[in-house]
Amino acid sequence: MPKPSDLLQGTLDLLILRTIARSPLHGWGIAKRIQTLSGDELSVGQGSLYPALHRLENQGWIRAKWEESDLGRPAKIYSLTPQGRKQLERELQSWDRLSSAVRLLIQNA
Amino acid sequence: MLQGTLDMLVLQTLALGPAHGHTITHVIEHRSEDVLQVEHGSLYPALHRLEDRGWIASFWGTSENNRKAKYYRLTQAGRKQLIAQTARWEQLVSAIGRILKPATEEPR
Amino acid sequence: MRIFRIIQRRARSLVHRSRADAELQREIEIHIQQLTKEAVAAGMTETEARARAVRNFGPIDPTKEKCRDTRGVNWIQDFTQDLHYGLRILLDSPGFTAIAILTIGLGIGANTAIFSIVDAVLLPSLPYRHSNQLVAMFNVPVKRPDAIAGISYRDFTEYRKQNGVFSEIAGNTFHDLTLTGAGEPIIVNTADVTPEIFPLLNAKPLAGRTLLPEDGKPGAAAVAVVSENLWRSRFGSSSGLVGKSIALDMRSFTVAGILPASFRYPEGAPRQDVWISVLQDPLFGPLASQPRVGLLGAIGRLKPGVPLAKAQAEMDTLSARLAKEFPDEDSGLTIRIKPYWETVIGNVRLALLVLLSAVGLLLLIACANIANLLVSRATTRAREIAVRIALGASRARIVRQLLTESALLALLGGFAGILLAVFAVRTLRPFLPSEIVQISSIHVGGSVLAFALLLSLAAALAFGLAPALIATPSNLQINIKEGSERTGKRGGQHLRNFLVIAEISLAVVLLVAGGLLLRSFALVTSVNPGFDPQNVTEAEVSLPQFQYSTPQQWRAFSNQLLARLDAQPGLRNSALAAPLPMDRQGQANLEFSIVGNAPLPRGKSTSANYQTVSPEYFRVMRIPLMSGRFFSEQDSPSHPKVAIISETLAQRYFPNQDPIGRQMRFGFPPDTNVSREIVGVVGDVRDVALSQKPGPIMYVPFAQAPLYGGEVVVRSSLSASSVAAAIRQAVYSIDKNLPVTDVESFPNALGQSISRERFRTFLLASFSALALILAAIGIFGVVSYSASQRRQEIGIRVALGAQRADVLRLILGQGAKLALLGLGVGIVFAFLLTRLMASMLYGVSPSDPVTFGAVAIILFVVAVTACYIPARRALRVDPLVALRYQ
Repeated sequence: MPKPSDLLQGTLDLLILRTIARSPLHGWGIAKRIQTLSGDELSVGQGSLYPALHRLENQGWIRAKWEESDLGRPAKIYSLTPQGRKQLERELQSWDRLSSAVRLLIQNA
Repeated sequence: MLQGTLDMLVLQTLALGPAHGHTITHVIEHRSEDVLQVEHGSLYPALHRLEDRGWIASFWGTSENNRKAKYYRLTQAGRKQLIAQTARWEQLVSAIGRILKPATEEPR
Repeated sequence: MRIFRIIQRRARSLVHRSRADAELQREIEIHIQQLTKEAVAAGMTETEARARAVRNFGPIDPTKEKCRDTRGVNWIQDFTQDLHYGLRILLDSPGFTAIAILTIGLGIGANTAIFSIVDAVLLPSLPYRHSNQLVAMFNVPVKRPDAIAGISYRDFTEYRKQNGVFSEIAGNTFHDLTLTGAGEPIIVNTADVTPEIFPLLNAKPLAGRTLLPEDGKPGAAAVAVVSENLWRSRFGSSSGLVGKSIALDMRSFTVAGILPASFRYPEGAPRQDVWISVLQDPLFGPLASQPRVGLLGAIGRLKPGVPLAKAQAEMDTLSARLAKEFPDEDSGLTIRIKPYWETVIGNVRLALLVLLSAVGLLLLIACANIANLLVSRATTRAREIAVRIALGASRARIVRQLLTESALLALLGGFAGILLAVFAVRTLRPFLPSEIVQISSIHVGGSVLAFALLLSLAAALAFGLAPALIATPSNLQINIKEGSERTGKRGGQHLRNFLVIAEISLAVVLLVAGGLLLRSFALVTSVNPGFDPQNVTEAEVSLPQFQYSTPQQWRAFSNQLLARLDAQPGLRNSALAAPLPMDRQGQANLEFSIVGNAPLPRGKSTSANYQTVSPEYFRVMRIPLMSGRFFSEQDSPSHPKVAIISETLAQRYFPNQDPIGRQMRFGFPPDTNVSREIVGVVGDVRDVALSQKPGPIMYVPFAQAPLYGGEVVVRSSLSASSVAAAIRQAVYSIDKNLPVTDVESFPNALGQSISRERFRTFLLASFSALALILAAIGIFGVVSYSASQRRQEIGIRVALGAQRADVLRLILGQGAKLALLGLGVGIVFAFLLTRLMASMLYGVSPSDPVTFGAVAIILFVVAVTACYIPARRALRVDPLVALRYQ
């Protein structure tokens, strides 16, 4: 299992933004979704998840609201702002660019 | 960028043949068509780390312009590590790819 | 709005800090509960599952802290924290703090003091409604475009009637009248006006009324408006003054009203005590009917929206029409209009701007000094900062912290500066040249305080930013590893060197400017005025028109007065003259022609300054006779008219000829065409200003050209006050209703004539002295810091057998190099900048090599001396100690 520290900040932000772009979610749900979707390859450590959520909220890319949730009690639900959607576009592009550059390098060996 | 990527790229570059630090940077930047920029501030700590773990070895040689320079080459362990890291990297990237995949987007 | 939301959120998290924490706690709690549920579902017991969840979650507090960091970028909290921290740091090094506050205090204090003067003088809002519509108007003779002439009463009325650009024009002139019947006779400053001036300047009386248009008509009853000051000082604030009559030059005027002290017109002149219609003035009233006499100055208010150029054009047309209509009087005259504000500010503007730039430079030097101190400290604090950054503080956060510190310093310095400024303004006020207007309005007020505050903050940025950036290099790990000694050395040292060079070059500019003024001032004061003012006392005696209206009476009075003065024991000799050299009321310049010379071409004329003097005048003043004779008692009205000319006049207009025996035509109106025989040539006298080369002067005997009074000059070895008493006694023994004013020793009067020069020289010289001290401190600081940083190196050198001289050379060399660079740059700048002040200099060129050389030498010596102390200290270092020091 990769340790949380294997994910650098930029990638974590990208994953969070992408995840709640599908549907608003609480912190727990975000962690769970990332883990499931990646087929247990990625697990998000709580130690970086909540600070990242706060940071994104401060940037104005996501917003939070206490709402009734599937957990059977009110939880803090995060959703994407329009700015966040633009930021997600940017980060997706940069991810594509970087990962294909690396792929280029290792496959042409 | 994913951490560990730089290590992998350095190993990958040295798999092509021994090189000194500057060449490594140059090769990575050139072959990625300048998309990947390697900071000197992170390259040397990486080389240090890799040497520490026995994945690369260094020796003194003469550079193109006849200066003394420290060259690095891949060790056997390093070659294995490269294969492992490449696989790991592919794995991670595809995992991330699954999360990012637009096909699974649910209606908003 | 995103930014709005962020602000809202931050504000909320500031206010509800605990609530935000509680929310986070709840959020985390949910997370842990879910983890626990999962574990239970996987078959663990409740407690086991819980424990595992908590363990899996990891340490909660660091997470909370991290969250708080991201959200709590709440700057108010940071700011108070920074403030506390900054105060502690400042208190920890009281020496540094005191020097820094004092330095910045001096800089800001000097700036604030000068600004308060500039604020009062250069940026005045004149106390009149729409004061930018006000213009001054005067005649300018075509032949002498630099001269200013009055406008005749007739022309004034024509201009007033015919123009379409002014909503109102008023005329005024000034005359000293004698007020009797209210205590001792005194001279009152009287403004002779046309009544329109009051509505034009929006004057509202304190009691009664101002002059009405009827009061300005010929033949109207004589009424006067008096000032609040006069009302209080002379009439005991009597409520019944309005309607009473007062005596001015023994003529009765009914008091129509009282003007409040807040009404002051004209600006920059002595306060007026009385306002009357110009037609009622005993001297000028009759002259108003003579269209040849340019009696009035005029002030006008432009109609709204009329630009100055349009008004000037219209007045040009009118003046051309008048010149055609009245060629005898008005040909050769043009009218000029000027914003009233400009005439008020006059020529103090340049001097004040030079002073303002000088103090600006001083502040820059002070800032450079403090920046230097801060850079030195920043490099030694680099380890502390590196640790803070390692603990998670961002670079921006550290820069903000350091800036808070410098702002704190600057504000404390600014406060010290304001105190200094208040003190300085209070001390300087008596020394201000009297022509600087509104001295009383110079004070440290709101706008000045705002200026000081702004200055402090700008200074904080100026001296705080660079060190802050230096102290937080981007590769921090290195800092922690290598410790404080090396960090920032490169950047820091370069910056410090640069600052010192800048400082020295600024000091050069200031010193050169100060030096030039000092030299020019020394030349002015040491200049031979052409007469000997020592032991001469002057006093003004003015004869009221009512009693002494004929030349015969004036002559008789002067003879009687001189006879009584001669009878006073202890007065060596005395004379009467009008005007005196450097007379506050200015010199009389008259045209002359030389009999026997071909008439001058049309439009050309010759003129010289004119003085009417009693026979003893040249002996009292010790003006040397070059040829011919002085005046004597024989030069009476019944004898042929004679004149004495100055050497310059003789050389200029009688080249290679003997002027004695030749005839000149000149005289005070109406004697303009009287021909006078030249009987003597006397030495040149500086009569306009000490700094102005002597021009041609012609003298006539008082008996042949008497005036209604004049200046008494007495040579005596007695003290000035007993001479003054003797003069008063002599005057009162003739007529006890005669006022004697402006009794003063001649050297004093001369001193006042150069008070402006003295003032700005004094200020600029003090600024340059301060600049020199600051620059010395600056170079001392840099060199001693780098010497202490090089202890180890010096220790090794000494251990390896380097001689004292080598080490001295090493350290002094560094200082000398900086000093030379600074000098080089400074001299170039000074060379470029001092030419702006050329008009303030006398006898010294703006690029005077002596001043430049002296400044270079002084600065260099001071700089090297400042390096000598750290050099000595470095030499005293025990090599072993130095080596171990690391």
